[in-house]
Amino acid sequence: MAARFGLAGGIPERRVRPIWDAIDSRQFKASLKLANGLLAKYPTSPYALALKALILERMGKPEEALGICLEAKELLHSNNSVHVDYLTLSTLQIVFQRLDHLELATLCYEHACVKYPNNLEIMIGLFNCYVRECSYVKQQQLAMKMYKLVGEERFLLWAVCSIQLQVHCSSTSQKLLQLAEALMKKHMASNSLHDPEALVLYLSLLEQQEKFDAAVEVLSGDLGSLIGIQEDKLRIQGRLLARACNYSAATEIFERVLVSCPDDWEVFLCYLGCLLEDDLNWLKMDATMQICSPSFDDNGACKANHLSNDEFNSRISSAVSLVQRLQTDCNGGFVRGAFLANIEIERRCRLCGTKHDDNFVEALLTYFYRFGHLSCFASDVENFLHLLTLEEKDKFLEKLMKTLESPPASPLKALDQAISIFKVHESLGVMFSLPLTDLEVTTKRMLQMYCKNLTLSKDLDPQENMHGEELLSMISNILVVLFWRTRILGYLLEAIMVLEYGLTIRRYVWQYKIQLVHLYSLLGALPLAYEWYCMLEVKNILVETVSHHILPQMLNSPLWSETGDLLSDYLKFMDDHLRESADLTSVAYRHRNYSKVIEFVQFKERLGHSSRLLTARLDVPILQLKQKANSLEEVECIFENLNCGSKLLEMSNEDKMKILTFNEDFHARPWWSPTPNINYLADNFEEGFPWLKEKLNKKKKAVEEEGIVKKLIERKSLLPRLIYLSIQISPISLKGNVGNGSLHDADAIKEIKSLLEKYARNIGLSFDDAMSLLLAIFKGQKPLKDLGPDIISWLNFTVFVNAWNLCCHQLESPRKDSSMNSWSVVDYMLRSCISEQLTHPETVLAVPGSNLPVLVQLVAEPLAWHILVIQSCIRSMLPAGKKKKKTGLVDSLNSSYAHAVCDSVQCLISVLQDIGKWVSNQIRKSEDQDVDRLLSHLQRSSSQEELGSILSILEASESMSVSEVGERISAALQSWSAATVCRKISAAQHSLLSQFLSICESKLKLLYSINKSI
Amino acid sequence: MTTIRRFCCNDLLRFASVNLDHLTETFNMSFYMTYLARWPDYFRVAVAPGNHIMGYIMGKVEGQGESWHGHVTAVTVASQYRRQQLAKKLMHLLENISDKMDKAYFVDLFVRASNMPAIKMYEKLGYVIYRRVLHYYSGEEDGLDMRKALSRDVDKKSIIPLKRPITPDELEYD
Repeated sequence: MAARFGLAGGIPERRVRPIWDAIDSRQFKASLKLANGLLAKYPTSPYALALKALILERMGKPEEALGICLEAKELLHSNNSVHVDYLTLSTLQIVFQRLDHLELATLCYEHACVKYPNNLEIMIGLFNCYVRECSYVKQQQLAMKMYKLVGEERFLLWAVCSIQLQVHCSSTSQKLLQLAEALMKKHMASNSLHDPEALVLYLSLLEQQEKFDAAVEVLSGDLGSLIGIQEDKLRIQGRLLARACNYSAATEIFERVLVSCPDDWEVFLCYLGCLLEDDLNWLKMDATMQICSPSFDDNGACKANHLSNDEFNSRISSAVSLVQRLQTDCNGGFVRGAFLANIEIERRCRLCGTKHDDNFVEALLTYFYRFGHLSCFASDVENFLHLLTLEEKDKFLEKLMKTLESPPASPLKALDQAISIFKVHESLGVMFSLPLTDLEVTTKRMLQMYCKNLTLSKDLDPQENMHGEELLSMISNILVVLFWRTRILGYLLEAIMVLEYGLTIRRYVWQYKIQLVHLYSLLGALPLAYEWYCMLEVKNILVETVSHHILPQMLNSPLWSETGDLLSDYLKFMDDHLRESADLTSVAYRHRNYSKVIEFVQFKERLGHSSRLLTARLDVPILQLKQKANSLEEVECIFENLNCGSKLLEMSNEDKMKILTFNEDFHARPWWSPTPNINYLADNFEEGFPWLKEKLNKKKKAVEEEGIVKKLIERKSLLPRLIYLSIQISPISLKGNVGNGSLHDADAIKEIKSLLEKYARNIGLSFDDAMSLLLAIFKGQKPLKDLGPDIISWLNFTVFVNAWNLCCHQLESPRKDSSMNSWSVVDYMLRSCISEQLTHPETVLAVPGSNLPVLVQLVAEPLAWHILVIQSCIRSMLPAGKKKKKTGLVDSLNSSYAHAVCDSVQCLISVLQDIGKWVSNQIRKSEDQDVDRLLSHLQRSSSQEELGSILSILEASESMSVSEVGERISAALQSWSAATVCRKISAAQHSLLSQFLSICESKLKLLYSINKSI
Repeated sequence: MTTIRRFCCNDLLRFASVNLDHLTETFNMSFYMTYLARWPDYFRVAVAPGNHIMGYIMGKVEGQGESWHGHVTAVTVASQYRRQQLAKKLMHLLENISDKMDKAYFVDLFVRASNMPAIKMYEKLGYVIYRRVLHYYSGEEDGLDMRKALSRDVDKKSIIPLKRPITPDELEYD
């Protein structure tokens, strides 16, 4: 703080301090008063102006703030006698940055640097301006200037970082690295290096130029001692040697690391890779990148090893003996790496066909006997499990099951081991092939196991994980499989009950909450899903990686206000980060952590190019349009702020799509929806394990998801502009003289056609084919289902085609009175699609994953956009003065359009009435009736009567005494009730339906008034 | 299988399974990045096969004279990897860096007075309750300032417990 209070522009500190104090305590009015007083005394002080601007910006008056800042900037430039110092400049910079005018701050600093050429403080300020603007070349030049001025190492390294950034981020030629290397070499010759980060930077320069030997030499010399943690040094050295293809030396180095860190799995993979001279693609990360993780898949491609059999065997033997040594050294304890290493070695042998396959299964079993009681056992071996053949799987499972017959003496260990076995079953997808009755028995036994073992958690602190917690997640997963295989709703409800039960006992289990978010979304109880999502307290960076659990469902729901909140929270986080990130890069420069400089810049780019971010930037205006779609005027206001949708179009251009990043963490998603756009439960279960393995390949699904998301982004980016053009060109047609229309009109028609072509391509067909398909469906030559699953996009397309056709008349038959016009196509499609959704006689409660989201979208999107087109047509048909006349539209304009519009309005009224009736029927039943019905699904008879139902096992646990499970758990068990959960589900479904109903009713009201006016 | 390495920004995108835990705070970005930019060696992550994040520790080194000390800001382990002494390993690493590289006098940390499992664990690791900080957590719950002396503090002066509790205003460092 003290630094702030020097003489600023000749103003004494005592006058400035009260203003800062008031600002710091957020008393902006008081501070403004003081700042005005200061300005009265020092009217030409840029600092006094900057202070006032800062206060105004904080008060939410950006325009006034900018005006005053510009005044101060002008003074700096024009008045040579005016005092300029760092304090003035940095205050101005803060305001300019908050006003998104980084360039103006830079200009001020640049001017000051000319005025005071050797002022280091101001030069550093300018350097930071360049950092904020990502002006790497200017950064480099300025850093060199500072280096020459004072000869400090840090400025040279700032210049080198700036060069690396040019190469990393601006695709500048690698040749620049030579310059950086030469600069550092020269400096080192006279000054050596004194900072570990400087050394790492130098090594990364060499590594990027593939001068591995030189890098090894530097690291092995005196400078190597700069790296304080010996293992870190060895890891770098090992990597450099491996990249220099000096495998034997690299192996030796990695071996040394393993001796001191026997649990370091990454280093073990590096060791084995070098020992067996694998393809070491994964090593191509440079030293500034802290992650050098050989992933299992990358490292697994050593099938064609060039070593002779003998050589291979001899090297494997040395690996085995190292591993044995490591195991002996760390016997006991939790060092798993040295033991998992056995499995990896067997995997390699198996790939090269040098050993018997049984060894692989044996190695897995040995690992199980040792670590089977650890919660991470299954995930440790997961990748290995997927390499097992069907026969091996059976054998492995059989041996695992045998261990259950003679469990460990400790009940806790026995429980944990049993859980690991269940996890292996889950991982191998056993639940998809086991007979239904067996599966049902398994779930019940697991649940009994959970309840029985509650006693083990009796004395645990409520903050601690309870023993056996994972059982409930797995039970829930199997119950969902049972639902998928039988379509019996009861299983799904049981899956929910089990998780709710678990959360009653301990409310902190986030895994249960996430599962419930998905199950409730599936069951049409979205408000409840949202409630659980909120309880996860997802904030800051987690909004980027975790919000996929709820956002997609919310976007297709009538919960517009909550969806808006989610989107705005997300965008605020991202925008704040993108704004602040460069300041943190400056901190890394200042603290000489050069590797972090590069990392921060790259991370900012990664987040800036996030697919989630791009989607959210499109979702916000689309949501606004949905919310305001009943008023043409309000929609037009939205478009005024959206540059009529053109800006959004640019968001899906090819360059942006190429650099899109996908940062979501899909790990916690349920098995049946590995990515937001996949829901296996929507399709019927098919027998056949190999097929399932393919289907449940999460990695592959994530890649497919990327393609889907890109398409989705393109569609979303087209949508607002298409809406805008549709409401713009509809009136053009009614002028009746399109041919003589203005150039502007012609451009609009041309543009909408080209966007429609793009839209058609996006949904999978050429424009002409898409049109033919629509017409064929309209004529009854093809069924509606030929549109595929994405009927919303098809109907949007139909609505926009109609708007375009109003001007082009390409869809009309020669006979004008024919029903064959684009209006009737839209009417037909909307009516057919909606009535198809309404034909299901079941209630929402009975149909998980019901058609409600589709219905909501049909109303909120194509139907809403079509009403906008109608409103636009009517507005242009009725001159302002005629609006209130009694003569209707049809009388005043006896055109086919008018009739078509009237018919369309009637059609929309009729479908909305149908939806209204359908929804009202759904919510007519009382909550009690719903609860009874839901409970009856839970009390259905079971083929395994002796085990009772899931519900009965849960209820039986209520009788466990305080002495058995402790007071806390006992109280929780008493308080749990299935009926309460059913009531919550029913209330959530009713609330969702009511919100949808009110949207439909508002649109109906609008259509009635339109109908009246025509 | 614990590869312990420096935490990097990309880890922020993969630590959900650790941070969704109710006792693990997800801070704002500038908080994490300030630690990364200033004390990168004090921010370490433990990684399991498949690049799964097992847990992490974030900390710093600060203070003057005999108050020069390492500080543990957060240490957390994903539920799947608990009860394997990973937190102990991470704590040792930070203590080692404070001791050997930065020659600090002691390491300290704050813990909720109600978080008994954590307090017990820190005690097992050699930490003692140095003082109580009244209403440290959002003005509500008290915090305990726990300390462990390092080799430079030969007489273990830094960990002699204070007799009276203090208020957050009296804390020397944030």
